Amino acid sequence: MFSYALKSLRANLTRLIATALAVILGIGFLASGLMLTDAMRSGLTGDVEEQYKNVDFAIIATAGSDQSGGMDFQLTVPASALATARSTPGVEAAAGEIQADARVLRADGTTVNLRSQGRSWIADSELNPLSLDEGSAPKGSAQVVLDRKLATEAGVSVGDTVSVQTPAGTKQFKVSGISSFGRQDALDDGGTISFSEETAVQVLNAGTPGFSDVLLRTSGDPATVQAALEEALPTSVAIQTGEQFVSDAAESASAFISILRPVLQGFAYLSMFVAAFVIFNTFSVVVTQRFRELALIRAVGGTPAQVRRSLIFEGMAIGVIASALGIVAGAVLAIGLQTLLRQFDMEIPGAGVKVSTYTVVLCMIIGVLVTTLSVIVPAFRAGRTKPVEAMRASAIDNSGSSPVRAVFGAIFLLGSVALLLANRFVGVQWFYLTFGALFLFIGLFIGGPLLARVFAILVRPVMGLFGMTGRLAADNAVRNPKRTATTANALVIGLFLVTLVTVSGEAMKTALVDQLSSASSPDFIISSEGAIDPKLVASINKTEGVTNIAAVKSSVAVESTGQSTFVAAASLDQLTKSAGLKVTAGSAEAVASGSGIAIPDFSNFGGGALSSPGSVASAGLGDSVSLRTVGGQDLILPVVAVYEGSLESFVGNVMNPETFKTVVGDKPVTRVFVRAEPGQADAVGQRLEKVLQGYTGVEVQPGNFIGQIVGSIFDFLIAAVNALLAMSVIVALVGIVNTMTLSIFERRRELGMVRALGMTRQQVGRMVRFEAVLIGLLGTLVGMGAGILLSWVVISSIADGAIDLSFNWARVGLIFLVGILVGVVASILPARRATRLNMLDAMSEA
Amino acid sequence: MSNAVQTNWAAQVHGAAKIYGSGENEVRALDHVTVGFEKGAFTAIMGPSGSGKSTLMQCAAGLDRLTAGTAFIGDVDITKLGEKALTLLRRDKVGFIFQQFNLLPTLTAQENITFPLDLAGRKPDADWMAHVVGTVGLADRLNHKPSELSGGQQQRVAVARALVEQPEIIFADEPTGNLDSTSSAEILSFMENAVREFGQTVVMVTHDPVAASHASRVLFLADGRIVDELMAPTRDSILDRMRNLGD
Ligand SMILES: Nc1ncnc2c1ncn2[C@@H]1O[C@H](COP(=O)(O)OP(=O)(O)OP(=O)(O)O)[C@@H](O)[C@H]1O
Ligand SMILES: [Mg+2]
Repeated sequence: MFSYALKSLRANLTRLIATALAVILGIGFLASGLMLTDAMRSGLTGDVEEQYKNVDFAIIATAGSDQSGGMDFQLTVPASALATARSTPGVEAAAGEIQADARVLRADGTTVNLRSQGRSWIADSELNPLSLDEGSAPKGSAQVVLDRKLATEAGVSVGDTVSVQTPAGTKQFKVSGISSFGRQDALDDGGTISFSEETAVQVLNAGTPGFSDVLLRTSGDPATVQAALEEALPTSVAIQTGEQFVSDAAESASAFISILRPVLQGFAYLSMFVAAFVIFNTFSVVVTQRFRELALIRAVGGTPAQVRRSLIFEGMAIGVIASALGIVAGAVLAIGLQTLLRQFDMEIPGAGVKVSTYTVVLCMIIGVLVTTLSVIVPAFRAGRTKPVEAMRASAIDNSGSSPVRAVFGAIFLLGSVALLLANRFVGVQWFYLTFGALFLFIGLFIGGPLLARVFAILVRPVMGLFGMTGRLAADNAVRNPKRTATTANALVIGLFLVTLVTVSGEAMKTALVDQLSSASSPDFIISSEGAIDPKLVASINKTEGVTNIAAVKSSVAVESTGQSTFVAAASLDQLTKSAGLKVTAGSAEAVASGSGIAIPDFSNFGGGALSSPGSVASAGLGDSVSLRTVGGQDLILPVVAVYEGSLESFVGNVMNPETFKTVVGDKPVTRVFVRAEPGQADAVGQRLEKVLQGYTGVEVQPGNFIGQIVGSIFDFLIAAVNALLAMSVIVALVGIVNTMTLSIFERRRELGMVRALGMTRQQVGRMVRFEAVLIGLLGTLVGMGAGILLSWVVISSIADGAIDLSFNWARVGLIFLVGILVGVVASILPARRATRLNMLDAMSEA
Repeated sequence: MSNAVQTNWAAQVHGAAKIYGSGENEVRALDHVTVGFEKGAFTAIMGPSGSGKSTLMQCAAGLDRLTAGTAFIGDVDITKLGEKALTLLRRDKVGFIFQQFNLLPTLTAQENITFPLDLAGRKPDADWMAHVVGTVGLADRLNHKPSELSGGQQQRVAVARALVEQPEIIFADEPTGNLDSTSSAEILSFMENAVREFGQTVVMVTHDPVAASHASRVLFLADGRIVDELMAPTRDSILDRMRNLGD
């Protein structure tokens, strides 16, 4: 009796742990996402607040009222604005911010930190976010201040000379001082190199005077100062109060978190959805196993409500405990992730985890809600147990195989296939697609048990090849078709999405990359986020094997209507020769002479979808466009040419350098397109790499790199989504472990009997492993099948046949292997448990 | 029985002791029992509940291990065998009939009958199979699942399974314990026939004097010891002995 009590306790414990584990994983995932993003946000915004705490006003560049496209990073505040501000009454101090990549090099030429930033040193100690710990501020063109982080990493101190690589090349600087940022060693996470203001303009901005923003410290009545500033400054810039500026800066610093957070949450909810399957299944099995016990309770006078309540209460209790554990697990996961990333030198902003009330409350609510909802159906089923069933010989689980279920499942499955195929023939209709997909899942879930049976009938002969153990495994897998189907369905959800994302993502990627690569393009594109030094442009042009180059300055301009649009200073003629642009109407000379601008023709790319915003997009040859200049006037420019090529989307409206300067002011060159001698591309590429050595932030890429970038963005997205889906696959794995463990407990007598009859432990283990793998296989096949079907429908109907469903067989095969692996891993524990079962105990139980 | 290994014994135990628990909870389920089961004989083991019948059978059959003493199946000392060798020996040399939970619910009657042979990767002899199935009267039920068979039919399948592999010895623990008298009588006569006609060795634990009367020899157990023995028993002679033991 005691051993029975122990055994049932142990079985209950397993069940509790497995159910809880599903919740712990899901909630842990949710909690860690929330905690990490909270920590990141407070880390980022805290730094921003610290950085600008003494700023009373800021001058920022503005591209007019409509800032669509988020391209304002290219806008700069002209140097004249700084001078004007300094002479405005009430302004105590003013400083322009300049920031670009800069690296400290060691003696052997290696980089100390790849993410260090160059900044202009702000003379006013209150405006300067950095404080000087030792030495003095940088003066002249040969001094820098390093922050403590960089100085420590590079092992240099005040007075030493260091090699610093900037967009303008590598030069020796004397370390005049060491800085720190508040209580931290560094402002930029890779460290900061500060130059004097004049030097910063030279080395960080390629000699073009201009600032990303100007910080002001003022005295007296703020309103008076603001009015005076507005009066004195041109309209191409705007005045912000310190508070506004900080909140904008904080927002943009943490902007990606607003995207990251809901995405992480979405995937966490998906895992919880899968966990719901696991919990539902576990409780269903438990109700079946406790059938006689429940009937006995009913027979001796327990009401259905009491039976129901006890199970729901059990579910809620598990929900509460598991959610709490999940939150702890989430914190551990978050800290682990931070530590792991730090090992790879990929510090994420924000240290430690931030446990907010919101996180705790949300996680508890979601965890308890999902658990409780999942046990309701089994609880009601338990409540319906009839007292007489206590007297019946045994409970046989026939559920899940009724003809009604089969008919409904079949109706939904056929309906979904019909709806999905309709897409294929009448073009994609969201109505058909949505309901088709919905019906597919309803059909799979209703018809799951039937599907499991059909699956077993199909695999039985194959499994028979593995002998008795294989055959029994196939039979056992569908002894409770509903249980098997629910277990497999948990896996179906994850693998369906993985397949859909991989297969359709792959197809879209192939189609886009093909389209992009087929367009004409330069052999190389040299680009910099900051500036390309004029000397470097000259050396690129002189490089052996380079036949043509086009140097391009780009900016966002504002139309008189207030909308922004991309403009570029470049020679259309050079662009034609080096980048394969085709002038389809008008003439290149007219642009070069300054009589008008050239606009791109986007008809190849589906019209306006990819075009730069603004009314320019709808203009044609002979129309004219009115742009607002930095001087505040409107400039009317006739469209004198239209061009076509693969670079439209990021060259924009082309004008000659003088017109460009009038419209947006002086800007550095940020891109150079290169045409190499035919057949020499590889050699030229290597030579260009050499030419660029010593210029930070300047990169050479093959001309068709847009295709490659699009390709790698797709690859990254597919990989990222799959990584996030992994959690739901893991929860499904827990579900298989759980189902198998419960089934084995249920069959312990039978297992004892086959052991007595001469089945070895190895054979028992193999039988259990086969069964788990079969459940995994069922989930994998159904999930992948549904994923491939839906991908095929979506892809082939969206693109009118332009996109083929190109299978990356290696990836599809990989998904299949993962599915099988889930089964194999899930079988380890149950198999061990089954082989350790004591034969006689198992048989002697009543 | 003094010679350790004699070829006319299908199974034997020497000085067999089985102790469960320890200290105050110690139970001597078997207390130095020495007994042999003759080849081609039908032996019944009787005794009050808790006397150690099942324990003796399980230890002799290699389902459980003795605390002390040796056990032989044929001329193999099974106390010296490892787990796997013992399992394979059971598979090839021993047949079992239990009181309940005898059959695998997913397999048909036919598949259940050939289960031990399938495990061993052996094919049943078709004539012998047909004969056994015919004898136990299951010819028209072979493709039924256990859930579609009556308790008596299920037990017949178990008997057929034990007979088909022609093991060295068949152990049956209360094989008729859950059956009515007609079904019991059928099962018992199958076993009796197998012993008489084919020289099969059978050891059966039972509480039922009528069942035991089918055997050629009855052993009486009490408190883990063999206290009596009866050859060529009848129902009445058994009842007589049991009355004596009860005193
Ligand atoms: N696993 C065990 N742990 C502890 N004691 C046990 C165990 N199995 C049996 N026993 C004890 O050993 C003794 C003999 O048990 P056994 O099952 O052999 O009796 P039995 O003669 O078969 O009885 P019955 O006729 O009721 O089946 C009993 O006292 C029993 O309580
Ligand atoms: Mg017994």
